[in-house]
Amino acid sequence: MTTASPVRWLARRLLLAVLVVFGSATAAFLAMELTPGDPVRTLLGTTPQTAEATERIRHDLGFDRPLLVRYGLFLGRLVTGDLGTSYQLQEPVRSLVTGQLWSTVTLALAAFTLALAGALVLAVLTAGGRRLPRRIAGFFDLLTISAPAFWIGVLLLTVFSFRLRLFPAAGGTGLSGLVLPAVTLALSMVGTLSQVLREAMERSLEEPFALSAKARGTGLLGLRLRHALRHGLIPLVTLSGWTLGALLSGAVVIETVFSRPGLGRVLATAITSRDLPVVTGVVVVSAAAFALITVAVDALYRIIDPRLREVGT
Amino acid sequence: MALLALLLTATTSGCAGALDTPRSRGNVLTYGIDQQPDCLDPQVSPLDVTALVDRNLFDSLVEMAPDGHFRPWLAERWSVSADGRTYTFRVRDGVTFHDGTPFTAHAVKATLDHAVDPRTKSQYAASLISSYRSSRVVDASTVVVRLSRPDSAFLQALSTAYLGIQSPTSLRENTGNLCTEPVGSGPFRLTGWARNRSLEMERNPDYRWAPPGARHSGPAHLDGLVVQFITEGTARFGALATGQVDAIGNVPPAKIGALKASGQLRHLRAESPGVPNTVFLNTRSGPLADERVRKALLRSVDLDQLVDTLYFGRYSRAWGALTPTTPYYSASVEGRAPYDPDEAARLLDAAGWTGRDSRGIRVKDGRPLALRWPYIQEVHGKMSALAQGMQAQAKQVGIDLRWTSVDAGAFIQKTDSGRGLEMFSASFVRAEPDILRYWFGSRMTIANGGGNVFHLDDPVLDRALADGAAASDPQARAAAYARAQQRLVDRALALPTYVPVSLVGTSDRVHGLRFEPNAYPLFYDVRLGDPR
Repeated sequence: MTTASPVRWLARRLLLAVLVVFGSATAAFLAMELTPGDPVRTLLGTTPQTAEATERIRHDLGFDRPLLVRYGLFLGRLVTGDLGTSYQLQEPVRSLVTGQLWSTVTLALAAFTLALAGALVLAVLTAGGRRLPRRIAGFFDLLTISAPAFWIGVLLLTVFSFRLRLFPAAGGTGLSGLVLPAVTLALSMVGTLSQVLREAMERSLEEPFALSAKARGTGLLGLRLRHALRHGLIPLVTLSGWTLGALLSGAVVIETVFSRPGLGRVLATAITSRDLPVVTGVVVVSAAAFALITVAVDALYRIIDPRLREVGT
Repeated sequence: MALLALLLTATTSGCAGALDTPRSRGNVLTYGIDQQPDCLDPQVSPLDVTALVDRNLFDSLVEMAPDGHFRPWLAERWSVSADGRTYTFRVRDGVTFHDGTPFTAHAVKATLDHAVDPRTKSQYAASLISSYRSSRVVDASTVVVRLSRPDSAFLQALSTAYLGIQSPTSLRENTGNLCTEPVGSGPFRLTGWARNRSLEMERNPDYRWAPPGARHSGPAHLDGLVVQFITEGTARFGALATGQVDAIGNVPPAKIGALKASGQLRHLRAESPGVPNTVFLNTRSGPLADERVRKALLRSVDLDQLVDTLYFGRYSRAWGALTPTTPYYSASVEGRAPYDPDEAARLLDAAGWTGRDSRGIRVKDGRPLALRWPYIQEVHGKMSALAQGMQAQAKQVGIDLRWTSVDAGAFIQKTDSGRGLEMFSASFVRAEPDILRYWFGSRMTIANGGGNVFHLDDPVLDRALADGAAASDPQARAAAYARAQQRLVDRALALPTYVPVSLVGTSDRVHGLRFEPNAYPLFYDVRLGDPR
């Protein structure tokens, strides 16, 4: 196979994506199974129940059946697209997830765009440049990577909401409610993204082609933009795919600090209360997002670096 | 960081005008709270926040007065048979549920049967009426309820929001959606619930059956009520201070000072009735099976100092197994087991814990005096500072308190079996002393749906609790429950720490907010107006 047809390539990747989704669902199912404690008792909370009531509920939820039977039924439902009903909230998982999805997607995209833009600006302005700006940018990277999102969030809230009253302190719909959580989340990622991009750019700036471009009279900024950036994009795109995928499964700390709806809190609550249908539902949705983003990232590689098209992976 | 934030501010400051202001919300009160309900079917959920929300959506058969007696509400009157096992309720005419169904005796039977039906998976209401056997509808306005034993706590159970009466039509036809579409007859009806965001209610314009304790009759003053979920204490207080919400629950104790200083905010406070925040002790096996060790533990911690410092003077320490606002609380337990490290040391010496290991922990027969105290971060996390303070003080007398975070499954596994732990913490809101039987009655083990994790079997205590539950005469009840409370302290069967407090903060536009006997705020009488 010398040149792979793009259609066959895509079909193969999508098939793999489906396998990834089922694999993740299985992993989530098993993880919930292996967690210590009786799932039915945990589900019922710390208020004790009579033994009869517990057994009755165990039977109703099918927990009295063997593991393999339950796993088979679980997979069967998943194939038909049925995510089941939450044990704890007694609401269909599908409506629960779709109810939170929009909030998670807007936050993820807004934060990701901000972080990416910030990283691009920082890296392009400082890669291979003078020492002082690089030092400052490096310090900024380190600061944002190390500062906990929780602390940055409360700090931004205190200044921009409690003091200046520019943004709502909690919840908030629309754009005004999105700004602080998106900035907080972006700040936690911008450092990593800009570090990776800067390093990759600096590597390519040391290569002979950069030197010859310089010899032709290209300025440093032009060199960075026209030559180094494209080389730096490959590791950045890889990291971005991973970051965006992680963001789409929810950001529990940000959601909690800013009182936002989102998949992160739904998942965290479901895990502690052993709400299996909700856990697997959220996992399936995030795994699907992850898998699709990975396919998109691979497609992007082929656009950014034409050499990859010839390999036919 | 600041640069990016400023950039963003500059580009979006145009939206600042779009922020909610108290005025733009009209006659609707927004209440910020840290918890959100799991399920609004009052007979299913055990959460405090469910009672808070459902009190607006559902009415009860009887109302509990602040002095502990019961007044008619949906029940016009009632009688109790001589053996205390049959209650006959005559119900009120002219009450309509939000779905248009008229309220009759059938609704009472449907609700009580629903509570105890295993399919309901009740996590609390069923245990409140564990004495319930059956109901018989005599005619549209009369229902006879049979109990399996005399139960002086039965009316109190009926007065809680957890036994709010549901529309029988909804119970019959809407099974599966009762959690999200509750139908009651209360002063507000549910109009929307966006999970993790807020819950919205509008005034029931037909409401004419407020309980006698209310300050007005007819529909609620507010056009609507919004409950907004704001988990973080700082953000919740910020939302109140900036006027984004009109009132908040669970004001962080550290913020009360700021709240008082603002001049425009007020705070209301009510101590919760029931069992205070308590450390339950393994009296069955391990070091705490020895009464001397339990007494030493109680004397090794300076709760006066810890509670005062950690909660900024807003909470008081607890002395007994009931809080002071619980009916039949006995003040005789106060000051009975004060901080006394010397006495603690003497008791431990007497109990044979005389050796010391390299960390200063006492040792007996080669084993250290270690007390395992598991907790769930989501449930007990808020008391971590207190637990750590107790840990440090207990270590001074040579006791090793192992306050360890475990996940909910592991915690329940331990409390279900009563093995692998010497202590666990819990508190329980209920304006009724019979709650002691739930935690300490010898028959109320976990397998029987009680909270007696360590199979405590103390005949003297059992006798007192049974007397209290069976007696209908207030004096007899008071005497029985005083005996029970004293017995718990005498034998050091539990370590009460602090009295939970309902701290509500409001803006100066909120008037008429009161607490019901369980210390949940009531919104029916609330009016939004000009600052006064």
